[in-house]
Amino acid sequence: MVLKIEHLTGGYAGVPVIKDINLTIKSGQALGIIGLNGAGKSTTIKHILGLLRPQKGKITLNEVSLNKQPTAFKRQVAYIPEVPVLYPELTLKEHLALIILSYQLNEEKAWVRAQQLLQLFRLEDKLDWLPVHFSKGMKQKVMIVAAFLADTDLLVIDEPFTGLDPLAVTNLIDLIKEAIATGKMVLMSTHILADAEQVISNYAVLNNGEIEVIGSISDIRLHYGLTATDSFDKIYRILNQEQRHARFS
Amino acid sequence: MQDLAKNRLQKNLQQSLKYLTLVFNDFFILAIIFLFGALMFWYAQSMKKMPPNLYFYKPLVGLILSMPLLIGKLVTLLQAADIQFLLPQDKNMRAYLKIMRSYSLLVPLICLVLIAGILFPFALIKAKIPILSYCLAVLAVFLAKIAQLKVMEYNLFYNKKISLFLVNTLFFITFAVLMMWPKTMFLVVILLAIIISGATFKPQNTALFDWQYAVELEQRRKNQVYGVFSMFTDVKERKVKIRRRKYLDFLLPKSLRNENPNKFLYRRALLRNPENLNLLVRMTAFAGLISLLVQNWLWALTLCSLVVFLTVYQLLPMANEFDNNIMYQVYPIEHIKRGQDLLKVLSLALFMQWVIISIFWLLILPVNLQLFEASSLLLLFSWLIAHWYLPWKVKQRKI
Repeated sequence: MVLKIEHLTGGYAGVPVIKDINLTIKSGQALGIIGLNGAGKSTTIKHILGLLRPQKGKITLNEVSLNKQPTAFKRQVAYIPEVPVLYPELTLKEHLALIILSYQLNEEKAWVRAQQLLQLFRLEDKLDWLPVHFSKGMKQKVMIVAAFLADTDLLVIDEPFTGLDPLAVTNLIDLIKEAIATGKMVLMSTHILADAEQVISNYAVLNNGEIEVIGSISDIRLHYGLTATDSFDKIYRILNQEQRHARFS
Repeated sequence: MQDLAKNRLQKNLQQSLKYLTLVFNDFFILAIIFLFGALMFWYAQSMKKMPPNLYFYKPLVGLILSMPLLIGKLVTLLQAADIQFLLPQDKNMRAYLKIMRSYSLLVPLICLVLIAGILFPFALIKAKIPILSYCLAVLAVFLAKIAQLKVMEYNLFYNKKISLFLVNTLFFITFAVLMMWPKTMFLVVILLAIIISGATFKPQNTALFDWQYAVELEQRRKNQVYGVFSMFTDVKERKVKIRRRKYLDFLLPKSLRNENPNKFLYRRALLRNPENLNLLVRMTAFAGLISLLVQNWLWALTLCSLVVFLTVYQLLPMANEFDNNIMYQVYPIEHIKRGQDLLKVLSLALFMQWVIISIFWLLILPVNLQLFEASSLLLLFSWLIAHWYLPWKVKQRKI
């Protein structure tokens, strides 16, 4: 199992936001994308999900090309967006049924798994609710349950911890750990490094649409010249300075 | 705050005018002229036949004159962001609402003048109400509307809410009963004037403005207005409120075995999105109504076939209903054959419509062989629409 992003350049309406991105995630690996607002994290994710058409480069997952076989590619990807997006017409149970249909899951096994996930996030008694009755946190939990129910090889997670209560954050971290342990691939974009560090060992730092460095936390610390006493978050200040230099030079 | 109120009113007026020009298009104006002419002709003919001064004429005039009380709510033009940005402006809200109240009187006043004008011959000739009393009654209704708007404004603050239902009932009973003695309208005018001036000039209490309630109320009011516009044109500002309607769930397949994602979604879009379901219900009810009016199987068949065609034609945009949902693009859902899935769901809608219309025919038209022929022909027409017209349209629109 492998996700390969090769020489990806893309963005909106002909304006390149990300430039020549190269990433590889292998089975059982988790990669965090970090960077300031506007660095290109969400744009990269949108390209992997097939929501934006690349201007250059290609994306393959287990040798299935996103460009040539979009449905087969998407069947291997589950996504948890930063802002929950639900179908207003569907109840929670129907959202899960839609996942079963879309990802062509075994119905019997999927409902057993769904029940476990619903209990974990305390949603088991809300199966007949429409999204309009859910709080923001509950909606986010529905997105998490739906993504983990899909049981795909690649999990794309965009800012997963915002809006979740501490218990749900712990449960999500446990689920991600479990997924990695069973050989799945995880790509996560986040600013909350304290939580991300529990599951992610490798990071790609994006700045001005380009990957500046990929590696473990110690590799990144070394790259940006952080001392042992410096907070990891200091790299954001360094990235900001780099952006300013780039703007005025 | 006054400047903000004026600015918002100006923008609201521009937006309303934009939609009104679309609503009152040439065809609609022509239809209104014809309908109004027919109504006036019927009114003139009926006036000739009606016996004068029956006991219920005066209360009837009172009730009809009070109708503008049901038209038009307090326009506040508050927006959700106001809860954040105008929160410290509680003290200035009365000045803001004063301007809004005057604007809110515009539509009810136009309706009152129109109703009063149409009712004038009946009130004068048949109900024998003196001109002066009639004019005072019209003035009293206008003052009642101002009082009603004042109550609506009062309810926007953290006060004990006054029931508008009670207020309206009180006004309706007052006008219906006191119109029996038209001269009392003079007293009603004086009384209402005293109440309004009392409410205007008494020292204002320092109740806080109920922002959340006021914003929700305004959103509901706006949505009602957009709902009216949306019967004639697309209104992008309209927020559709999805409701589950459990009693319709029996129309959804219990098992997922023969389902696919598109069919699954379209079925729920039809039954739960009020835009689609209301259209289906409205058109079916319209088919029933015209069948009742024509009382002839051939005419009923012809007109109902037209209604059936117009229903599916208007339901076709349902195909793109989920396109703006990002998860519809992310999930591995095939988009190529979704036109076929839409066809299956619309065929179900057509069949449901045929069943309801046929049952209605059985109830209102003479039961004979011709009626069964008409029902069979309508079924055949629906089948042709589902198997010939819709596939062609799906292909043409590249759904």
